[in-house]
Amino acid sequence: MTMQKESDGGAPTPAADGQAAAFELVGLRKTFGTYEAVGQADLTVAPGSFFGLVGPNGAGKTTMLSMAVGLLRPDAGHAKVFGTDVWKEPERAKELMGVLPDGLAMPEQLTGRELLSYLGQLRGLDKATVAGRVDELLAVLELSGDTERTLILDYSTGMRKKIGLAVALLHGPRLLVLDEPFEAVDPVAAAMLKRLLKRFVAGGGSVLLSSHVMALVEQMCDTVAVMAKGNVVAQGPLDQVRGGVSLEERFVELVGVGAENEEGLSWLAR
Amino acid sequence: MAGALIHMKLAVMRRDISGPRSSWVFGGALVGLLLAVATIDVATLNATHDSTVRDLLAVVFAVWTLGWMLGPAYSGQPVLRGEQFQLQPIPRRRLALGLLGSAFVGVTAPVTFVAFTALVAFGIRLGAVPVVVAVPAVFLQLLFVVLLSRLTAHLFGALSRSRIGGAVSALLNAAMLVASSSCWVVFIAVHSVLTTGFSHGFSITVRSLPSSWGVLAVEAASRSDWPMTVLPLLGLALLTALLWVAWTRSLGPARWTRATVRGSGADRAAPGGRLSSGATAAVYVKEMRTWARDPQRMQSFVVAPAFAVLTCLVPLAFHSTEFLPFLGALTALMGAVTAANLYGQDGTALWLTVLMPGSERADVRGRQLAWLTVFAPMTVVLTAVGIAVGGHPELRPWALASTVALLGGGAGLLPLVAVTQLAPGPDPREIRNAPLDHSDVTGQAFVMMIMALGTAVPAMATVLAGQLLHEPALRWAGLVAGAATAVVCYALLGRAAHRALARRGPELLYLMRTGKEQRGKAGEGATFIQAMPAYRRRLFWSSFLVGCIALFPQALVPLLMKVSGKVSRVWFLALYMPNAWQWPVIALMSVIGLGSFALAARIGLSELHAQRS
Repeated sequence: MTMQKESDGGAPTPAADGQAAAFELVGLRKTFGTYEAVGQADLTVAPGSFFGLVGPNGAGKTTMLSMAVGLLRPDAGHAKVFGTDVWKEPERAKELMGVLPDGLAMPEQLTGRELLSYLGQLRGLDKATVAGRVDELLAVLELSGDTERTLILDYSTGMRKKIGLAVALLHGPRLLVLDEPFEAVDPVAAAMLKRLLKRFVAGGGSVLLSSHVMALVEQMCDTVAVMAKGNVVAQGPLDQVRGGVSLEERFVELVGVGAENEEGLSWLAR
Repeated sequence: MAGALIHMKLAVMRRDISGPRSSWVFGGALVGLLLAVATIDVATLNATHDSTVRDLLAVVFAVWTLGWMLGPAYSGQPVLRGEQFQLQPIPRRRLALGLLGSAFVGVTAPVTFVAFTALVAFGIRLGAVPVVVAVPAVFLQLLFVVLLSRLTAHLFGALSRSRIGGAVSALLNAAMLVASSSCWVVFIAVHSVLTTGFSHGFSITVRSLPSSWGVLAVEAASRSDWPMTVLPLLGLALLTALLWVAWTRSLGPARWTRATVRGSGADRAAPGGRLSSGATAAVYVKEMRTWARDPQRMQSFVVAPAFAVLTCLVPLAFHSTEFLPFLGALTALMGAVTAANLYGQDGTALWLTVLMPGSERADVRGRQLAWLTVFAPMTVVLTAVGIAVGGHPELRPWALASTVALLGGGAGLLPLVAVTQLAPGPDPREIRNAPLDHSDVTGQAFVMMIMALGTAVPAMATVLAGQLLHEPALRWAGLVAGAATAVVCYALLGRAAHRALARRGPELLYLMRTGKEQRGKAGEGATFIQAMPAYRRRLFWSSFLVGCIALFPQALVPLLMKVSGKVSRVWFLALYMPNAWQWPVIALMSVIGLGSFALAARIGLSELHAQRS
């Protein structure tokens, strides 16, 4: 794939100091009514790093990522992509990143190829570039051939993740923000996605992904952050956060799962 | 079972009353109650022939029944449905009984019950025995319409899974819409009807409808015609039982599969020619593909012309061809009304636009152009046909000016209403097997209809001026005025829409994701009213206003007048009623007024409480 080369040439250059983080979240906060979904989220993704965000369901991962990429207006705080503020200079910031949100709809009455062609044209990319990238993306993600004429409406969950990733990659971003990219994806497709993301990082791109599969994050990421109850409770290089134990053990320790509740449910034993 | 389901339904209702739909729930209940009172009023009218009142009641009940059949197409499916309980080990009959019980909880069923008590009012006029007959008839009739509504919803839902089925259900839908709206023509001419009665054929047709059988029984009881008293009631009971069986069976696993639509092949995925470049062209192609493939869009594509043609055909029965030139104008109007939830239909796909700042303009313009491509040719052809077939050269300026004005007005309002009145619903993939499970678009449809008619006012006023001043040139200037408003609406309203989309993109996405609006932040110096979410503020003010109108001029003033004996009717509804009904209407108005104030107070207090904590 030639995407990285294109993105290096096509996207705007980072902030003048040259040291700007790929993605910087400062004090993001969101309250829904009286419920505090995200209390205080600070996160820094270094350029070229593969960053994993872990946390139990309801920890506020999706809310935080939505605020960070510009899909949900934060109550406080800001997010910067290579030094460009997402909420103040959205046009430039959003050009630099590719986003895969979790569980949002697509223009459902289009096929995968129609969708990518549409988005390429909407972004103002020239026709030949779009055609070339779409061919490559669909081939790599195995969305052409038999499923060529299938509407997205009829896609399986795994196919949806794949087309979502293709949408995120299409314009050659320098940062990928992926919310649960591996959820409901079969092992074969997951292996393919992993290879693709590793290549993206090897080519100089940065990735921030959220997941609750610890083994996957341990295997792929160099930096991790743990989120619990709306706050980032730990972040840093993988080995530092693990502190000698497995990520899962450390995670349970940080998030604090009480074992005493499991004493109930006696009626389940026959 | 029934108890549990009724509790669930009540919980959903409580949420509705405090959610974004509250103003529509409240407004709908009020309008419904007024219609119910009007229905009871029909039963108290005096006519030259007694049978005329009976026929009038039969017409009104037919309209209520049609309303129940049409309702689900606009309000979406009922909140509690059979599919939701498929994995529970509940016998189907018990489930059906529970769901039926929950169907009576809500706004529509009690309001309809009030309307159907017109049958008792009719019985009171005729004697004691007819009253005794009327009471079971009211309950049977209510059961009948509730079951009929569920079954038609099921049928439409099944049909709407394919494009052809969508077109068929659109035709049925349009036919019912026209039948129910045409019936009101009867009430415009109610004074002449009361003296001359209905034609024999019409009377027979209306009386044969199951919705009229209750009236027939009550009337027969007054004549001591026992067979004719018992037969209609037995018929209604039998029909209701049949509907019950059919509905119980329909609760099982779905039998009808969905027709799969295929997209274009690899070589045709990217548009060619002039459409191959530019952001607006990209959106246009995407929209045209959606219009061609989505059964829901197919439905709105068919409903509009079908409604227009049927509406104009009905007056032909009375040898009136005056409506024909307006075929096209009506199509444009209905096209805008049925397509008004453009963004809501796309669900959370809006995130793509939000993540591409600057694409909002192309998104709005592309959608406007696609709507015009779909509806404008059809509208123009229908106007031409209507003018050619209908004659009436004097109506030509009216027809052409309104067609042009409504096309432009519709194209301009379409994105604006879709953005500002967005009715959030489930994402398309969640309802791909049940396209009618959409959001409640009733309120949005009304807003669109009124505003679209508003855009035709300048053109119509110009033609009218020409008519009054006998200036042919001025009459034709109406066409120019129509074209001018069309262009202005398309440009300015479209601009307002894409600006609103750009400004409120994340908020609209949030609304689509969660079905509720974000609570506004209480800024410095903002009163608690300003800090309310927009929908609560709307509800607060509308209930306050309704409270003022209902309690003071419609309840207290007529009360004082009646007490003091100095009665002057003006616009006091109660004083237009027959003497026996005046006090009940005053009481009803007081209840509505006090209820509205209580609601406003409740909203205010809960909001104050929420903002303080």
